[in-house]
Amino acid sequence: MAREKIGALVMLLFSMAYGLLALRIPLSFMDQGEFFTSRTMPYALAVMGLILSLMILILPTADPAGKRTLKEETHGMDWKKAILLVIGMIIYGLVMKWFGFIISSIIFLLCGFYILGERRIKRMLLAAIPLVILLWFIMSALLGVYIAPGELFYMLGVL
Amino acid sequence: MWDGMIGGMLTGISTTLIPMNIGMVLFGCFMGSLIGMLPGLGPITAVALMIPATYGLDPSTGMVLLAGVYYGAIFGGSTSSILINAPGEAATVATALDGYPLARQGYPGKALAVAAYASFSGGTISVIMLMVFAPMLASVATSFQSADYFALMILGLTAVSAFAGRGGVLKALLMVVLGLMLATVGTDQTSGVQRFTFGSLELLDGIEFLLLAMATFALTEALSIILKRDASSDSLNPKMIGFKSLKVTKKEFKQIGPSIGRSSLLGFIIGVLPGAGATLGSFMAYGMERNLASPEDQKMFGKGSLRGLAAPEAGNNAASSGSFVPLLCLGIPGSGTTAVMLGALIAYGIEPGPRMLTASPEVFWGLIMSMYLGNVFLLILNLPLIPYFARLLAIPRNYMVPMILFFSLMGVYLITFNDFDILMMVIFCIAAMALRLMNFPMAPLLLGFILGGLMEDNLRRALLIYDESLNFMWERPLTLGINLTTLFILLFPLLRSFLSDRKSEGKPEDKEVAA
Repeated sequence: MAREKIGALVMLLFSMAYGLLALRIPLSFMDQGEFFTSRTMPYALAVMGLILSLMILILPTADPAGKRTLKEETHGMDWKKAILLVIGMIIYGLVMKWFGFIISSIIFLLCGFYILGERRIKRMLLAAIPLVILLWFIMSALLGVYIAPGELFYMLGVL
Repeated sequence: MWDGMIGGMLTGISTTLIPMNIGMVLFGCFMGSLIGMLPGLGPITAVALMIPATYGLDPSTGMVLLAGVYYGAIFGGSTSSILINAPGEAATVATALDGYPLARQGYPGKALAVAAYASFSGGTISVIMLMVFAPMLASVATSFQSADYFALMILGLTAVSAFAGRGGVLKALLMVVLGLMLATVGTDQTSGVQRFTFGSLELLDGIEFLLLAMATFALTEALSIILKRDASSDSLNPKMIGFKSLKVTKKEFKQIGPSIGRSSLLGFIIGVLPGAGATLGSFMAYGMERNLASPEDQKMFGKGSLRGLAAPEAGNNAASSGSFVPLLCLGIPGSGTTAVMLGALIAYGIEPGPRMLTASPEVFWGLIMSMYLGNVFLLILNLPLIPYFARLLAIPRNYMVPMILFFSLMGVYLITFNDFDILMMVIFCIAAMALRLMNFPMAPLLLGFILGGLMEDNLRRALLIYDESLNFMWERPLTLGINLTTLFILLFPLLRSFLSDRKSEGKPEDKEVAA
């Protein structure tokens, strides 16, 4: 199946789900009896999404790049590293609150360098630590933005 | 009109010449060139990455900085196109056609210098035109009503899709619709009703535009480098670019001069069209120059022609300035990058559109006048710094990619201080990556997202004024004219393919007749 047809199928399902969720949008007192309510635009968009997705699915693929299958397109891609980086970003988002900006950012950068093949620890530390400290210094000391330390420090009684 | 323009120019000059703003133009050009040069990162990413740095600034200073980043990034993209045949974005693909062969022939410095002169000339010529035409259009646009704005937004969104190329129109339109869908998330401003928030407090204010811009461009582009095992920077030897090699002779200047003039004019006109942007500007300028060249010169195109290099460079820079016309005068972005800048303007509390000329003249004129300065800085900065900038291309991707990811995530986190935003960015990044792999464009999504709220407001207001009737679409000649233009733009690709089909059907018959 051409990759853009798969995309259209995904968008068709998304538009259907969006349309169904639009039915659940509550109507305020002001909206009662009105022609244009909070649901009007979502309804119209869901219908447009459905029509356009169906058109892409039904009509022949004109774009030569879109004719390729997903398998052909993704062949030889470095999925392992990309997935590890995505997981790294998710963990970064989750630990930020606990470890604070400086520690979690340094760990994220070090992990990123490691995932992408760097093994020279000294170089990795020299690239990550000054960068994070500099950014923290610019934000807190120069721009006066308060960056809260991690919750963990409060829990451990360090702060 | 001229009095107003001269007064405006003086306002612009006084705004631009504030030491802080001069510094910001310089900083913007520098950062834009730096980010734009990195393979895979284009002006949209560069502008999105720099927005967080502007939030503490005065709006005029912030816009001056972002404009500097924009044309700096366009030039930066040309550098990576010429040196390693890795265009940062579509607008600099045409530059690589002749720039890279010229670099391979042993003239990388000359190619970069020609690109710098052409960018400077294209940018400067189009800024002069912007200065003349923008206030004229803005004064006409003050008579626009909600119906006209709604029609204009439809025109802008349709135009972006129509220029998507063969087979890409429907996909671009679908992405516009997806962007509009995402714009409906949050509290409805008029009724106060929550839409698609799933009871989450974090979604009450809707999705942050910067978050979406970073996720769909910066994060996905960085991950693409890894996924596609892009090692283009590994082939570069920065030492090969020396100061001496940057020299362009008088004869060569004479050769490229007329090409730059023509391409700048064409680029500006194309840039003004909503949705066309720098990509079309550069390709059309390249195509025009090749068609105008003598048969002998035509053979040189694609093999290192100076005209073939200067034309798209002047064209894309002129188109970049031209795309500010719909942004400043109508509040409709002409390209993906100006869509991000529109988001920044809204975040500063400035209402983009014709009223901006009277309500915030320092932003309007300051931005225009800063472009002169930016073009000069870009030339002064880039020519001597080219050899040093080029070294950046040699940064190994195992350091570059995590840093891009880090700056993108931090760009959003350090504004909202909400770790939920980081997770939301990752979700959008995964979705955008999947859509890209399925060959769906991202710029129309961003455009739809930014215009979504404004579009709904104007549609609601127009319906209220016209007593809930759709007559507003054709009652006023101006609205009707805009809607007919939209229809024409939408039907143009169909018409073109129909005509080309007929032409190809006709050819065998002609041959038979000839036989």
